[in-house]
Amino acid sequence: MEKLRICINTQTPLIQFTSGTAKGRLGGNPPDATLDGLVEGQDYRYSPGGVTRMVLPLVRRLQEQGVLGEVHWVSLNPAGPPTVRLPGLVLHNVSLPDPRMRSYGQTKEVIWGTVHGTAEADGASEMFWSDDFAEYAYYNRRTAELIRQLDREHDFDLFYIHDFQQLPIGGMLDSLKPKILRWHIPFDGTVIPDTWRPRITAYLDSYDAVVVSTDAYLRALHQFGYQGRGVRMYPYVDPDDFGRPSASTAQSTVLRYGLTEAGPFALVVARMDPMKGQDRALRAFAKLRRRAPDLRLVLVGNGSFSGSAQGLSLSKSGRWRSALEKLAGELGISDQVVFTGHVSQVELDALYERCLFTILPSVQEGFGLVVIESWLHQRAAIVTDQAGVAELIRPGENALLYAPDDLAELRRHITELAGDPARRQKMGRAGKRAARSCTVAYAARSESRLMREVLEA
Amino acid sequence: MPVLPSFLVLPVLIAFTVALTAIIASVVAYVVGGLMRQSPPVAAIGARRLAAIIVWLVGGSFALQQAGVSPDVVFVVVVLLGVAALIALRYPLENFGGKFFSDVYIPYKVGDSIRVGSASGKVIEQNAMATVLLTPDDELVSVPNTLLLREPVVNTSPQAWKELTIPITVRTSLDLPAFESALLKSLSKLRSRLDPRFPPVLTTKARGAQGTDLTLTLMIRRAEDRDALLAEASKRIAEVTDAVQGAGRKVG
Repeated sequence: MEKLRICINTQTPLIQFTSGTAKGRLGGNPPDATLDGLVEGQDYRYSPGGVTRMVLPLVRRLQEQGVLGEVHWVSLNPAGPPTVRLPGLVLHNVSLPDPRMRSYGQTKEVIWGTVHGTAEADGASEMFWSDDFAEYAYYNRRTAELIRQLDREHDFDLFYIHDFQQLPIGGMLDSLKPKILRWHIPFDGTVIPDTWRPRITAYLDSYDAVVVSTDAYLRALHQFGYQGRGVRMYPYVDPDDFGRPSASTAQSTVLRYGLTEAGPFALVVARMDPMKGQDRALRAFAKLRRRAPDLRLVLVGNGSFSGSAQGLSLSKSGRWRSALEKLAGELGISDQVVFTGHVSQVELDALYERCLFTILPSVQEGFGLVVIESWLHQRAAIVTDQAGVAELIRPGENALLYAPDDLAELRRHITELAGDPARRQKMGRAGKRAARSCTVAYAARSESRLMREVLEA
Repeated sequence: MPVLPSFLVLPVLIAFTVALTAIIASVVAYVVGGLMRQSPPVAAIGARRLAAIIVWLVGGSFALQQAGVSPDVVFVVVVLLGVAALIALRYPLENFGGKFFSDVYIPYKVGDSIRVGSASGKVIEQNAMATVLLTPDDELVSVPNTLLLREPVVNTSPQAWKELTIPITVRTSLDLPAFESALLKSLSKLRSRLDPRFPPVLTTKARGAQGTDLTLTLMIRRAEDRDALLAEASKRIAEVTDAVQGAGRKVG
């Protein structure tokens, strides 16, 4: 069977160039750069989150299976050269001048906040009429024009568009070729303002298939009125990306972050964002001080691409971390809490291996791949029932569930797991089994089947 | 003493006439475009082209006169060619004209349900010669575009009166994303006259080497505002085009 030529579009780039020297070392701004001679961690880094954890492994897996040929991948990447070539992949970077970037970022946040049902959605009903939205349209049109140009050169078989930031792209491509939209955040039609419905419906209708992360989102998508092909596909990771670090690496990691070799700690892996609910975890910990004086809380994560200097430079993550540090001080638990910021994959593996259990305290969460990561390390997880991954949880068997604001229940779960090693182990093993449906091997079959279906429809 | 050798006088004179004609044609097209700022962009483009063609015909005749061809002969040839073309292409031209005017002035588009004469159905295609309808019985009906100008056209789509579609052609040299962004900002000022649930939308219809055909869709609040909004939106489209072109030249 002939290999498919596809174009992927994500807002977040696969590779972020971390320093001005990267461009300099690339020889200015070459039209067709490679990573040869650049140092990962210094000159560039793979973006944390879904693009690296999920989309890249899928591409690699489908290429290994002979389903995909060379893949073109278009992203917003102001600090990157126009094109970067990797084996089997060509990354195309879209750049936006600063004022347009800010306005695009504002609109993106309004959409994000509205879909998550938060107060950040102030002014949502006016959004489509705002100057900021005109820049959101600018970004999407510029991206669509680039994809169209690439399509003229490479004659793609289909377009795979990722997430709400890129929602208008389907219509803007003005192409009869199949288009798939992967909607990564929660989908709940009841929080979408009435004034948005006609436009959101039109956007969704421009795709041949819309993929959401849970059965609940799929039901909501159809209730919203989407008539097209809706597909539920759990997000996924490649278990091979999550190794077991050596004892010395694990030891040096915990020591680097001020933890002791044998000291017990719970782990929260989430970007710095109020939606992730780290404040609730701190409040729960504050009341455990007497019952579990040795237990510490490790918060891993930094800003997303949106919050980074290489990205949209939205300062939300920095503000939230400061607020959390202040809160920890006010609660008198600063000595019990560790903020690591961004950590490397090896360090993350070490922290997963050394923690007692993980907590996902999100107020809202599209899915929660970190729970899958935790399970792959056979670590028990405490998860809010508002996370999409809750659909996979059998409470008490592979994880523990609680409502985001029920801190008493969270404290009970922490106390329970902290004092019961056998239960933690049993839950971790059950979690590892549950994680199978969220692996790239499992998903590759569903993804390639979907691609064939939309091509043959 | 003569400035040019005699054998060069005629070629230079003809070259000068052609160059002057080109300049006058550009100026006239610009002036006509300016006069039609409040007309739909497609109509303004057509008028500019027609004005330029007339100037070229006059300039060409003058150049031929310089070459020694009698003006009467030139005039007769031009008229005869025109008459022959009109006779030969009468029906296609009528239909083409019908397409042009129906694009601009008759409120329906692909996807709408319409009734014209004895035919009715969903519009599935608008080409240079005819509008193709799909009837409820799955039959295709081809309605010559001339008929659309002669017969009343009833758009039976729900709330068809609300929808104002304005065809726009954007030259390839114009930055399309910048144009769209600037146009959306400009049109948001008309918000009080538009349905708040349906902000302006720009969609691409066709692309060619010369430019991109777009459709601007506005959903109006009050039927009686149609004319005024068409004129105001057309004016804003022209202004935005000029502004984006100007910005592009500065950057260039």
